[in-house]
Amino acid sequence: MNAFAYVTAQTPESAIELARDDGRFLAGGMDLLGELKESLAAPKTLVNVKALPGTADVQLDGGKCRLGANVTLAKLAAHPELRRVLPGLTEAAAEVGSPQIRHRATVGGNLAQHSRCWYYRHRDVHCRKKGGTLCYARQGESKFHSLFTGCMCLSPAVSNLAIALAALDARVIVQRGRSTDSLTVAQLYASAWNTPSAHNSLQPGELILRIEIPAPAGLRSAYLQLSEKSDFDWALVSCSAAAKVTGQTLTGVRVVLGAVAPIPWQVDAANAFLEGKPLTDETARRAAELMLRDALPAGDNAYKLPIARALVRRTLLQLVA
Amino acid sequence: MPWPKETKYLGKSTPRAEGPAKVSGRAKFTTDVAPAGVLFGAILRSTWAAARIKSIDLTAAQAAPGIKAALLVHNGEYLTRYYGDELAALAGTSRQAVLDALRLIKVDAEPLPFVVKELDAIKPDAAQVFAGRPNQGNNPARDSGRPDDAFAAAAAVVEGSFATQIELHQSMEPHAYAVSFEGDEMTAWASTQGVFAVRDGYARNLGLPQNKVRVICEHMGGGFGAKSSLSIEGELCAKLAQAAGAPVKLVLTRFEESLATGNRPSSFQKLKLAADKDGKLTAFQMDGFGTPGYMASAPNGGGSNGVALPMPYLYRVPNSRVKQSAVAINAGVACAMRAPAHPPAAYGMEGILDDLAVKLALDPVAIRLLNDPSEVRRHELEVGAEKFGWKAKYQKPGSSPGPVKVGIGCASAAWMSGGRGTQAEAQISSDGTVEIRVGTQDLGTGSRTVVQVVAAEMLGIDPALVTARVGDTRYPPSGGSGGSATTASVSPAIFDLCEKAVEELKKTSGLDDPRGANWKAACAKIGATPLAVTGRWRDGLSTGGAGGVQFAEVEVDTETGFVKLRKILAVHDCGTVVNRLTCESQINGGVIMGIGYALYEQRVMDRRSGVLLNPNFETYKLPGIGDIPAIELLLLDMPERGVIGIGEPCTVPTAAAIANAVANALGVRVPSLPITPDKVLAALGQVPDNGDRAAQVRDLEGAFARVAGAERPILLTETPA
Repeated sequence: MNAFAYVTAQTPESAIELARDDGRFLAGGMDLLGELKESLAAPKTLVNVKALPGTADVQLDGGKCRLGANVTLAKLAAHPELRRVLPGLTEAAAEVGSPQIRHRATVGGNLAQHSRCWYYRHRDVHCRKKGGTLCYARQGESKFHSLFTGCMCLSPAVSNLAIALAALDARVIVQRGRSTDSLTVAQLYASAWNTPSAHNSLQPGELILRIEIPAPAGLRSAYLQLSEKSDFDWALVSCSAAAKVTGQTLTGVRVVLGAVAPIPWQVDAANAFLEGKPLTDETARRAAELMLRDALPAGDNAYKLPIARALVRRTLLQLVA
Repeated sequence: MPWPKETKYLGKSTPRAEGPAKVSGRAKFTTDVAPAGVLFGAILRSTWAAARIKSIDLTAAQAAPGIKAALLVHNGEYLTRYYGDELAALAGTSRQAVLDALRLIKVDAEPLPFVVKELDAIKPDAAQVFAGRPNQGNNPARDSGRPDDAFAAAAAVVEGSFATQIELHQSMEPHAYAVSFEGDEMTAWASTQGVFAVRDGYARNLGLPQNKVRVICEHMGGGFGAKSSLSIEGELCAKLAQAAGAPVKLVLTRFEESLATGNRPSSFQKLKLAADKDGKLTAFQMDGFGTPGYMASAPNGGGSNGVALPMPYLYRVPNSRVKQSAVAINAGVACAMRAPAHPPAAYGMEGILDDLAVKLALDPVAIRLLNDPSEVRRHELEVGAEKFGWKAKYQKPGSSPGPVKVGIGCASAAWMSGGRGTQAEAQISSDGTVEIRVGTQDLGTGSRTVVQVVAAEMLGIDPALVTARVGDTRYPPSGGSGGSATTASVSPAIFDLCEKAVEELKKTSGLDDPRGANWKAACAKIGATPLAVTGRWRDGLSTGGAGGVQFAEVEVDTETGFVKLRKILAVHDCGTVVNRLTCESQINGGVIMGIGYALYEQRVMDRRSGVLLNPNFETYKLPGIGDIPAIELLLLDMPERGVIGIGEPCTVPTAAAIANAVANALGVRVPSLPITPDKVLAALGQVPDNGDRAAQVRDLEGAFARVAGAERPILLTETPA
């Protein structure tokens, strides 16, 4: 680990300013400290953003939820109102890491976390994500990698919150210079598909401030993941879905798969297929097929296909359960 | 055996003597040792799986702030043969200073071809780990009886392929040493299973008199076989201390633990088993291989480290042919790991036995009762099956309804164990307290409490009056903690010591029986000079030969491949139970380790870079609390057999029982450990094959054919990508 300066920012604008010269933002530190210790990152400055006013608040009113970027995953997972209104989100938070991790990790950090690919995280492998020429996973140990492989880096998006928030059509409010931008989750991740070195679309010095989630009456949401272990393990595949449910009929449907592509995987055709239809085992199966239509498994990960099929079906069925 | 029949402490539960110190943080582990002026040591490791090291330049590192010593592991040009091999070591005033300086060491190396996967290493055109020497050994077949005739005459024959992964020890405490020299005296604090072995290692490797080296291990966080003797990091720590003229502490990181501190070798087993129509085993054949790391093909031939499995395990099959060999790859070497060779042997043999039972439409418990030569274990099968509700639960393979299928399985274990020479000394003071010193170490199994329990029982006193001191070469000698031998070695020495103490105290006090109610009065007569007695291990108080049977119940989600354990029942014998609490704790730990072997753990090497990909607990997956089912224990208390260790047999059959339960649930067998969702789905035929899997099967078949010495040539022209 290299030496670095440590400063605490009091406003979003000053946080951006302080990070301008090769700085990184520090909130829970769950992702960043690992990168520092493995010498994957060597920032000159760590800008503590935990003191930014209002960023640890949860607000739920008028059919809208605002989550500050510094809300911990433990707080999110245990929030009684959110568990009732946005169960897909709170379940996603509850599946992250261990209790210790969830008490440190934040909403912003979970969304902005870097690749967990074991080649990327390895101190002695210079892969394409780190500016090298090879994606080692492409012909290597790709068990945990992407199913959708028409991209340059097979490292999948593993943020549980990104999957749930994409299903909930949330907006991510990002400080960019002196102004803020409102991004969809798809926009937040788009660069990870197009640019092998990118983990998401945030540029250096851009900071997630809060999340805004529409929570209209009648909205249902669900999140399921399948890991090798029962607890404290990354998802092999995760799935989240949200829709307005009237009887068994879904409207405004969004289904999202995680850990199968560098971005939260969304397929408009699957959402459109489900729109306005009563959900049955059969329509859920058809939606799963549409979700996976373009999958091109790497060497070791075709097993994710049946898991993804099962999770899409089960997650959708949970919406009407 | 002379152990008492009616007991107050022996076989009952006494809490761990050091429990409060451990849970409060007062217990001092090696990493907590801080002699004045201690420096921090660290190791530079090879980043190549194979390379010619031409030179290593320490100049810049030596000049870095805070660096007090720097040394090379080897001088001159040489070959390094695995990623993680020790190249150089530094000591400095802070951990950060040393880590920074490691990055300043310049290594001039010429990378060489390497191979890190067993199935690649046995191909004819594979890179050779030792040039000019085939990676795969060629051992003769071991035949008994007439296997060919017996297979031909059998009522049923089954064949199967079973593979097990490289498992890492992953003790909670890493390898750790602290070394201090004062004059010509050396003191080493070591996380070790053998303080005397480490002392002798230091004396030998550093040219020191044995009586000038003291090794201390007050507490340690596990070893599982990987801390049996002086390891290279311990030697480097001492050499750094010598070079720096100051104490040095060297604690490995989790990353380093994964690379270079030993492992359980892999196994690839092609098995064939035959029986007559009643299920009596008649013939067995095995073609097997595995890797113990890079040393397997070394010219000195000393590297096949535990690859050979004791097959056909605990069964007596009159006709058998067993052929096994070790394969070298560019990876760290294996070493003893909790019940070496037994868990993979049990997985293979108990698996093929279940397949045979299915073919003969026999109950798995029944076929074991018919073929197990051990009366104790047959009894365990019967009482275990009864307690488990085996008969009511057993269904034909794959026949449970619905997508989530339930299955049960069982498997057995054998272990030699046994005790050996240990000496102990005691001082008994006039206030009735007893201090017992014995140079064993507490690997984590509760050695101090064993000493307390035996002494309290034999002297008829409260265990709180007994203080046990262990883990120091200044105490009377005891062997290493390996082979499940510690309790069976220590208990008889304490028994002997107590007999002598009672005799002495009779004389001193004039009381006929100074034990129990008379203890305080007897000790009051001792006066100012404590009574000193010694004891030593003697025959007739401990034996070897432990067995065990475990039963597993699982549910398997056939849509996701996820295996959930419902229950494990572990039935074990260990003769006289000394302390029930720590004995049960051992078995729980063994079962949990077996669960990791069955479902989660595996070292993953990368073919292209040669690195180990999962040197951490994020992707080297250990069972966590959510993965552990109800574990029920049934201990046969058999005082007539004396003390027998339990540490190893309890981990042997767990994975085999779970694998059999999964096969029973699915109706197909997952052919390798760990049984992860991808493999379950593949076994169920639900994973589309892009050709990779077919190629792997071809490679495996080719490998088995080579081991068997097949007449047809095996031409595998594919090279790794």
